[in-house]
Amino acid sequence: MQSPGNSTPFKPEEAYAAAAERFFELMKTFGMGSGKAGDWSALAGPLASQFERWLQMSQAAAPWLSAARGAPAGFSFGPPAAAPFGPLPLGPAAVPGTQMPHSFELLGRLAQLQGELAKHWSEIAATAAQRFIARAGAIPTVPTTPQQALKLYEQWVSCAEEAYAATVHKADFAHLQAELTNTTAALLAEQRQQAETMVRAFGLPTRDEVDALYRQLKELRQQLADLGGSAAVSQADRSAQRSSPPERAAKSAAAKPAAATKRPARGRAPRASKAKRGRGPRR
Amino acid sequence: MNVSGAAAGTAFTELALQIGATLTRLRAAAEVTVGCSAKEPVWKCGKTTLYRYVPLTASRGSAPLLVCFALVNRPYVLDLQPDRSLLRRLLEAGLDVYLIDWGDPDDADRHTDLEQYIEQHLGGSVEHIRSQSGGAPLNLLGVCQGGVLSLCYTARHAQAVANLITLTTPIDFHTPENLLSKWVRGLDTALLERCGNVPGSLLNGLFLALMPLRLTQQKYVRLLTSQPDQRALEDFVRMEKWIFDSPPQNAAALAQFVRWFYQENCLVRDTLRIGGQRVSLRDIRAPVLNLYALEDHIVPASASMALGEHIGSRDYTGCAIPTGHIGMYVSRAAGAEVPARIISWLTQRS
Repeated sequence: MQSPGNSTPFKPEEAYAAAAERFFELMKTFGMGSGKAGDWSALAGPLASQFERWLQMSQAAAPWLSAARGAPAGFSFGPPAAAPFGPLPLGPAAVPGTQMPHSFELLGRLAQLQGELAKHWSEIAATAAQRFIARAGAIPTVPTTPQQALKLYEQWVSCAEEAYAATVHKADFAHLQAELTNTTAALLAEQRQQAETMVRAFGLPTRDEVDALYRQLKELRQQLADLGGSAAVSQADRSAQRSSPPERAAKSAAAKPAAATKRPARGRAPRASKAKRGRGPRR
Repeated sequence: MNVSGAAAGTAFTELALQIGATLTRLRAAAEVTVGCSAKEPVWKCGKTTLYRYVPLTASRGSAPLLVCFALVNRPYVLDLQPDRSLLRRLLEAGLDVYLIDWGDPDDADRHTDLEQYIEQHLGGSVEHIRSQSGGAPLNLLGVCQGGVLSLCYTARHAQAVANLITLTTPIDFHTPENLLSKWVRGLDTALLERCGNVPGSLLNGLFLALMPLRLTQQKYVRLLTSQPDQRALEDFVRMEKWIFDSPPQNAAALAQFVRWFYQENCLVRDTLRIGGQRVSLRDIRAPVLNLYALEDHIVPASASMALGEHIGSRDYTGCAIPTGHIGMYVSRAAGAEVPARIISWLTQRS
């Protein structure tokens, strides 16, 4: 099953090589590989589309969405292929109709939001290219030394990051980002719901049941800890009474009601009833 | 092709050769080791392990120092290699150093919440250390998100902490520079929690998306074109290893962290309740040293520097370091300044 963060694990060699590849792609756009000089204004279009492609490809600003690229596992947009024989109504075949309409609704919403995100990428890329062209006016178009190439590259990164920051700090972008994540999460929850139905049909424990067990376990642990705490308090009180000189014993006695109030009533009652229940059969 | 065209072609080839050679050397450096100082596990709670570092010199006799790192990253960045190790500098100064490693939570831990982390894991570590040192209060160093946990713990257990140090720790999550906060403010945390634990790679992606070109392109191009020596290459690979080696995040704890701090900004609004009890920074009376980075893109300086206004302690020292978030732990400049500040501040208070 997918989860919202099942993005591809980092592979350093690939990341280094990919960065180098994009660097050379940019240098070629500057005419470095061919040696053909162009004028800066003509580069705005190619630069913008290159950057926009990269943003879309990396989904850089929306890592939460990696799971939602395309339809989730187990989903298909077309009708199911007709089967010559239907399976017997046992196990998964006994699962009643799934909530596909809602899933499709979510997928539709996701596609719409991704369309909105694409507009932001487009805006960022165009702004970055314009900024770069405006600043690069004095620099020769084709870098003739590695130093010139790197200077241009640094300039490009600064312009691109500035354009990116200007957009991604805006409230509408932040809202879109959250909406995309929430929709992806809702889609995942929907998938899980369907899987749970399937799991139940096999008589296997569902996530909801496991969670309920966990809550019970947590509660029991808490009760145990509370009981341990009150037992320690009682023992300390008894030791204090045994070893204290008369005036300290008097103080201890005076303090007892306060200590008693600290003992959690809810922790004691279950122990008493549980102990009684437990002793019965043994006797 | 004219003369300048030929020169461009030559420069292009030169760069290609240089990058190709560095890529080959990078592959050879892939197996670097991380973490350099000897330590031993002394206590466990769930997936959390408390380590005690083997002393490097005679003890100063001061209270033990417990380092509480963030849940979202691995703590070995504080001890990456001998010449880039905050912990090693502290050990060399004769401090008795303990470190909490939260481990790798799995699906069985998805309900472990912040209260459990603060009270049982961090609190249990504190109690273990205190039981070994006659019950005296210890010094607590909270790093990044671990700083937030440390603040919460100190506010609830004033008697257990003698001195508190926070490093790159966010307090005010709603300052204008905090991009991460803007992005997560509209998240449906209940829905996210239902989706289960969050893989570390997802959070990495989120952090990288704050400055995508600089963090996923430019830094590699700079390295590849700078003709680095073998040592510089290995340093770089170690850092990369750490950056992309993030543990999964428990669904419950992460959802609470986002909701309480990023969305509701409970620390500065003084509205935080953990386990039904109020947690107020005003209850922190211990001396506090707050170290933050001026060029931090994850925890902006403005998010950290607010601490002094909100704590109850009268002994507060804020200290800005001119570096970035990760630079606080590993840059050469901060590598000298950060431990020196911590040591001298603690010395004045021991």
